[in-house]
Amino acid sequence: MDLEDDTSVLTTLKSFNSFISRTEPPQRLSESSAGNGNLQSQYKRSMELFEAAERVHSKNRYLQLDGEKKQMELSHKRARFELEKAASDSARDFEHEVDRNQDLLGRIKKLEDRETDAAKKLSEQVEANRALRKNLEGLNRKLEERDTRLNTASQTIITLKDEIRELKQRIQNQDSTISSQTLENQEVQEQLDLQRRKYQEVSQLCQNLQAAQSSCSEHIIKIKELERRLTLQEQDIAIVKTVKSEVAKVPDLEKDVKRLREDNAFLRESRENCSLLKEEVEGLRRKLERMEKKKEELVNMELEKERLAEKLKAWENLGQSTGLNIRKPEDLSREVIQIQQREIALKEQNYTLNSRVRSAERLRSEFREESSQQRGKTLEEQKKREMQDSLVRRLQKRVLLLTKERDGMRAILESYDSELAPTEYSPQLSRRLREAEDVLQKTQNHNAEMEVQLTKAQDDTGTLKLQLQTLELESLKKHQASAADSNSSVTKEEVGILRQKIEDLESERQRLEEQNNILEMRLERHNLQGDYDPVKTQVLHFKMNPTTVAKQQRQQDVDALREEVTCLRDLVRSLQDGGAAAHSKADSSLHASGLGLSLPPSKEVLDLRKQMESSELRNQRLKEVFQRKIQEFRTVCYVLTGYQIDITTENQYRLASVYAEHMDDSLLFKKGSNGSMQLMETEFSKTLGEMVALHLHHQKSMPAFLSAVTLDLFSRQTTI
Amino acid sequence: MTSTLKGITLKGSAELVAEFFSFGINSILYQRGIYPPETFTRITHYDMSLQLTTDPKLKNYLTNVVCQLKEWLFECTVQKFVLVITCLETNEVLERWQFDIECDKSAKETSAPREKSIKTIQDEIRSVIRQITATVTFLPLLETPCAFDLLVYTDKDLMVPDKWEESGPQIIDQSEEVRLRSFTTSIHKVNSMVAYKRTDSA
Repeated sequence: MDLEDDTSVLTTLKSFNSFISRTEPPQRLSESSAGNGNLQSQYKRSMELFEAAERVHSKNRYLQLDGEKKQMELSHKRARFELEKAASDSARDFEHEVDRNQDLLGRIKKLEDRETDAAKKLSEQVEANRALRKNLEGLNRKLEERDTRLNTASQTIITLKDEIRELKQRIQNQDSTISSQTLENQEVQEQLDLQRRKYQEVSQLCQNLQAAQSSCSEHIIKIKELERRLTLQEQDIAIVKTVKSEVAKVPDLEKDVKRLREDNAFLRESRENCSLLKEEVEGLRRKLERMEKKKEELVNMELEKERLAEKLKAWENLGQSTGLNIRKPEDLSREVIQIQQREIALKEQNYTLNSRVRSAERLRSEFREESSQQRGKTLEEQKKREMQDSLVRRLQKRVLLLTKERDGMRAILESYDSELAPTEYSPQLSRRLREAEDVLQKTQNHNAEMEVQLTKAQDDTGTLKLQLQTLELESLKKHQASAADSNSSVTKEEVGILRQKIEDLESERQRLEEQNNILEMRLERHNLQGDYDPVKTQVLHFKMNPTTVAKQQRQQDVDALREEVTCLRDLVRSLQDGGAAAHSKADSSLHASGLGLSLPPSKEVLDLRKQMESSELRNQRLKEVFQRKIQEFRTVCYVLTGYQIDITTENQYRLASVYAEHMDDSLLFKKGSNGSMQLMETEFSKTLGEMVALHLHHQKSMPAFLSAVTLDLFSRQTTI
Repeated sequence: MTSTLKGITLKGSAELVAEFFSFGINSILYQRGIYPPETFTRITHYDMSLQLTTDPKLKNYLTNVVCQLKEWLFECTVQKFVLVITCLETNEVLERWQFDIECDKSAKETSAPREKSIKTIQDEIRSVIRQITATVTFLPLLETPCAFDLLVYTDKDLMVPDKWEESGPQIIDQSEEVRLRSFTTSIHKVNSMVAYKRTDSA
C-alpha cells in the first residue's frame, strides 16, 4: 500500500515506528538485568512484557487491519466506480454494436442487390461471350483474309523495295547534284562577296557624293565670284564700245593694207626674178671659166702631143739604131720584161755569191780566230820550251855540281879510307856511296826525260806553225775570192734587199704592236671582269658570308617545304584510298575540292575564316550604321538648332548658321582644358560685338548668344 | 689614325682604305637595295651624309671582314677587293663592284710618312663614294631577292686564316664594265669599277 495515499495511515505508522524505537532500549536493559535476577520474575516479566508486546502488536495489527479495511473499502468503492464505468462503456459499446449491426444488415441487403445485379450481369456476360465468340470466328475469318492480303502486301513490299533501291540511286544522284550545287553555291557566295565589295565601293561613292556636296557649296561661292566678274565684264563692254568706234576706221586701213600687200607681192616676184637671173649669170660665168680652162688644157694637150710625137720618133730612131725590134710600147715592155728576168737571174746569182761570200767570211773569221788561238798556243809552247831550256840548263849545272860534289865526296872518302881502317866504316860508306849513285842515276834519267819532252814540244810548235801557215794561206785565198765576187752593184742590191727586209720587219713590228695592244686591252677587260692569274693570286672570302647564309636558309626552307609536300601528298593519298569511306558524306564536297588543291583546308581554318568574315561584316555594318547615325544626328542638329557644327581641328568647333548671309560667316569655338567653351575671333564674330558683350560677358550664356544670333540673322533674311 | 696632318704612314693608309671600304660597302648595299632601307641610319662622314647599317648580323660580318682586310692592307698582300651581288633564285652573279688595290710595297721598308694630307685623300674618297651613289642611275634594277659576298684577291703565298676559305672569282657572264674614279693615299691606290650583267634590252 502506498503510504502517501492516506494521511491517517501515515501518521499511525509514524507513531508506531517512533514507539518501537523508544521502547527497544529499555527492553534490552531489562533483558540484561533480568539475566542476572531470578528466572521466575524474569519469566513473569518477560511474559508481561510479551503480553504487553502482544497487545501492542495486536493493537498495531488492529490498526493495520483497520487501515487495510478502510483501504479495502476504498478500493471497493473504486472498483464499483470502475465497474459502473465499465458498464456504461459496455452499454455504449452495445449500442454502438447495434448500430453497426444495422449498418451491416443494410450492407448485406445492398450486397444481395448487387449479387442479383451481378447475376444479371453474368447472364449478360455469357450472352456477350457468345456474341464475342461469334465475333472471334468472324475475326479469324477476317484474319485469314488479312493473311492473304499480307501475302499480297509482302509481294507489293518487294516491288516497293525495288522501287526504293531505284529511289536511293536517284537520291545518290541528287546528292552528287547537291554537291555540285554546293560548289555553285560557293561560287555564288564568292560573287556575293564581290557584290558586297561593290557595295562597299558604292558606299564609298556615297561618301564621295557628300564630299561633292561640300564641294558644291564651294562652287556656289565661285559662282558668286563669277557674278562679280560679270559686272567687271560689263564695264569692259563699255570700253569695247569705245574701241568699236575706232574699229570703224579699220576698213580704210585694210584697203591700204591690201594695196601695200599687192605692192609687196609684186616686189617679191621681181626680187625672185632678180635672184633667178643672178643665178643664171653665175652659172654662165662658171661655164665660161670652165671653157677657158678647157681651152688652156687643149693647148697643153697639143703641146704634149707634139712632145710625145717627138719622143715616139726618138724611140723609133732608137729602135732603128739599136737594131732591136722596138716599134711599139708592147715591144718595149716585152724587152723590159726580158731584161728584168735577166736581172732577176743575175740577182739570184748575186744572192748565191753573196751567201757564199758570207759563208767564206764566216769561215775566214773562224779561221782567224783559230789562227789566233794557234798563235797563242805556239806562244805558250815557245814559252814552255824556253822554260824547259832554262830547266835543262839548270839541271845540267846541277849535274855538274853533283859530279863535282861526287868527286869531292869520293876524294874525301878515299882520304877517309886511307886514313881510317877499311874494316870500321866501309859498309856504311859503301851504302852512302850507293845511295848517292842512285840519286845521280835518277837525276840523269829525269834529265833525259826532260830532254825528250823538250824535243817533243819543239816538234809540236813546228807542226802548229805549219798549220798556221796553211790556214793563213787558205784564208788569204778565200779573201781574195770573196773580194773578186763582191763588186759595187751587188752591194747596192744587197742594201736594197736589206732595206726591204727592214721595212718588212718594221711593218711586222707594227702589226705585232697592234696585236699586243689588242691583247693588252683584252687583258684589261678580263681584269675588269675580275679574272686573275691563279699562279700569283688567290681569291678568299669569309666563310659565313651573307650569300652562303642566305643560300643555306633558302635550302632549309626548300627542304622543309618539300617535306611538307611529301607529308601532304601522303595525307592526300590516304584520304583518296581509305578516307573516302570514313569521310563519306561530310567530306565529299571537301574531298572533291581537296583533290584539286591537294590540301583540304582544315575545319578550324574554315571556321576561323568564317568567323573573321562575319566579324568583318559586322564591323562594316557597324561603321555604316554609325555613319548613318552621325549624319542623321548632324542633320537633326542642323535643322533643330540652325547651326552646322564642324570640327576643324582638335578642340575647335566651327558653327555656321542656316541663315548666314555668306558662306564664310561662321563662329569659331575653342574647347578649353576644363571643358569651357571660348569664342574665337572671326570676320563674322567681329560684327556681333553687341551680342557678345550682352550674352557672353554680361549674361555668360552661350545658348542665349547663339539663339540671339540666329534670331538676328533670321530677321534680316525675312526683312529682305 | 695618323695624327699628323701633313704626312701619312702605311698604318694610317691601311686604316683610311679600310674605312673607305666600310662606308663604300654600306653605300652600295643601301643604294642597290640589298637590305631594306629602314635598317640603315644616316651619319655624317667625309663631310657628307652616309648610310650605315644597323642590322647586327651584317655589322658583325662587315667588321670581321674589314679588320682582316686592314691587316692585309698593312702587309700589302691584297690585290683586289670585290663586292659580288648574286641573285638568290638563279645563283647568277648580277653585279660586281671591284676595287683594284695597288700597294706600294716599298712603304713596308721605309717607315717615313708620305707627303699627302688626309684632307686631300678624303676629298678623293668622297668623290668616289659620290660616283658610287650616282651609278644607280644606269645600273639595271635588281628585281629578284639578292645577297652579297665580299671577295679578297690576295697574294698566293698568303696563309688562309680561320673562318676564311678560297672562292671562285664569281665572274659575270656577258657583262658591261664601267670604270669609276680612283683615289690614292700615295701608298695604296684604289681603282674602282663596276661590272653588271648585260640585259637583253640593252
